[in-house]
Amino acid sequence: MTVKTKPPIAARLVFLLDKAKKRPAEFSLLGPQVVSSIEGLRDSVALATKDTLWVSYEKDLTEALLKMVWGPPRSLGMAVFVHALSLQSVVGLASCFKRFAFASDHGFLPPDELAEALEAKNAADLFIGGSVDLSSETITLWRGCLTPLTVPFSAFEKSGDGTELDFARFAVTDFGQTVRLGRYEAAADAILYKFDPDYRRRISRVRRQSERSFGASLRRLRKQRGLRREDFEPEIAGKTIARIEQGIVQQVHKKTLTAIARRLRVTPEEIGSY
Amino acid sequence: MEPPHITILHGTQAWRINLRTGEFMDKQPDPADVPEEITAFIQKRSHWQSFHKKWDEKYPMNPVRDKDADEAE
Repeated sequence: MTVKTKPPIAARLVFLLDKAKKRPAEFSLLGPQVVSSIEGLRDSVALATKDTLWVSYEKDLTEALLKMVWGPPRSLGMAVFVHALSLQSVVGLASCFKRFAFASDHGFLPPDELAEALEAKNAADLFIGGSVDLSSETITLWRGCLTPLTVPFSAFEKSGDGTELDFARFAVTDFGQTVRLGRYEAAADAILYKFDPDYRRRISRVRRQSERSFGASLRRLRKQRGLRREDFEPEIAGKTIARIEQGIVQQVHKKTLTAIARRLRVTPEEIGSY
Repeated sequence: MEPPHITILHGTQAWRINLRTGEFMDKQPDPADVPEEITAFIQKRSHWQSFHKKWDEKYPMNPVRDKDADEAE
C-alpha cells in the first residue's frame, strides 16, 4: 500500500517529559524536546506558550511542573499525561492547561501511534486513549484534539456472533480508530456518530455532497433505467462503471462518457442532473 | 443505522466499502489511494461472500441482504 508519509511537523513546541531512552525516537514525528530533569523542566515552562503540547510519561516530573506553575493562571498549552493523576493534581493542571488528557499508561495508544494520532488531520476523530469507570459503567475516551467523550457501557451493543464485551480489557488500537474491549471491537467513527452531534452533522453534510457527485448521478440514472453495470459491456467494462460510480475515476474520458450516455439514452451533460 | 460495510485501516486513515453496493462510502480519504490489488482482493467472490457472512453473524439486526434497503437502492 502506498504510504503518504508526513514530514516532521515542527510548527508547535512539543515537550516530552520522559526518562526512558528509547521512547523519544517513537515521538520523532512531533520533533519533541525531551525533558528528563527538574532543571530542564524549568526551562521548558519558561518557553511554553498557549500552543505548546506536553506529553508526560513521568508522574514525578508532572508533579514538579505543578509546583512550578502556582500563582496567577497562565496557559502552558495542551497536555497528555500518560500516567495516573490524583484528583488534586487534576484540579491544579486545569488552571494551566487549556486542554489535557490523562489515563494510566496502558490507557493510551503506543507511543508511535500516539504521536501520529496527535498530529493527524483527523485527530479529533481518533481516540488516543481512555479509561473505564466500572462503578458508573462508563468509558471516557480522549480524542486526538484532547477533548473527552464519555459513553455508557450500553453504547456497545452485543455482537451477534457471541463475542463478549470485556470492559476490564479496554484498549484503543489502530492509531485511534478502534476501541477494544477484550476480543470485542468498536469503530471510533461509529461511537462518534452515535454520541457527538457535531460529528454526525459533519458526516451527513459530506454525504449529501457525495450524493450530488457525478458517480452518484450515474448510479441513480443507471438504476432508473434498470441496467446492471455489465449491461454497458462490451463497450465499457462493468468494472469501469463501478469505478466511476465509486468516485475512484474522477475524470471520465470523453469517449467513455459518450458511450455511457448513449446506453442511458441521455446526452453526456444530462447525466449529472440525475 | 449505518449500512453494512467493511473498513480498510491504514494508519490514521480508514476507507469504508458498502457491502450492499460495493461502493466506497466516503469521499475522504480519497478512494483512489487504495491500491487496486486491495480492492480486487476484497471484491473476489469468495472474500466478498465471507465478508457478508461475517457481517451477518455480527449484526443480525442489520443484515447485508435487507429487503427494505435493497428497494431503497
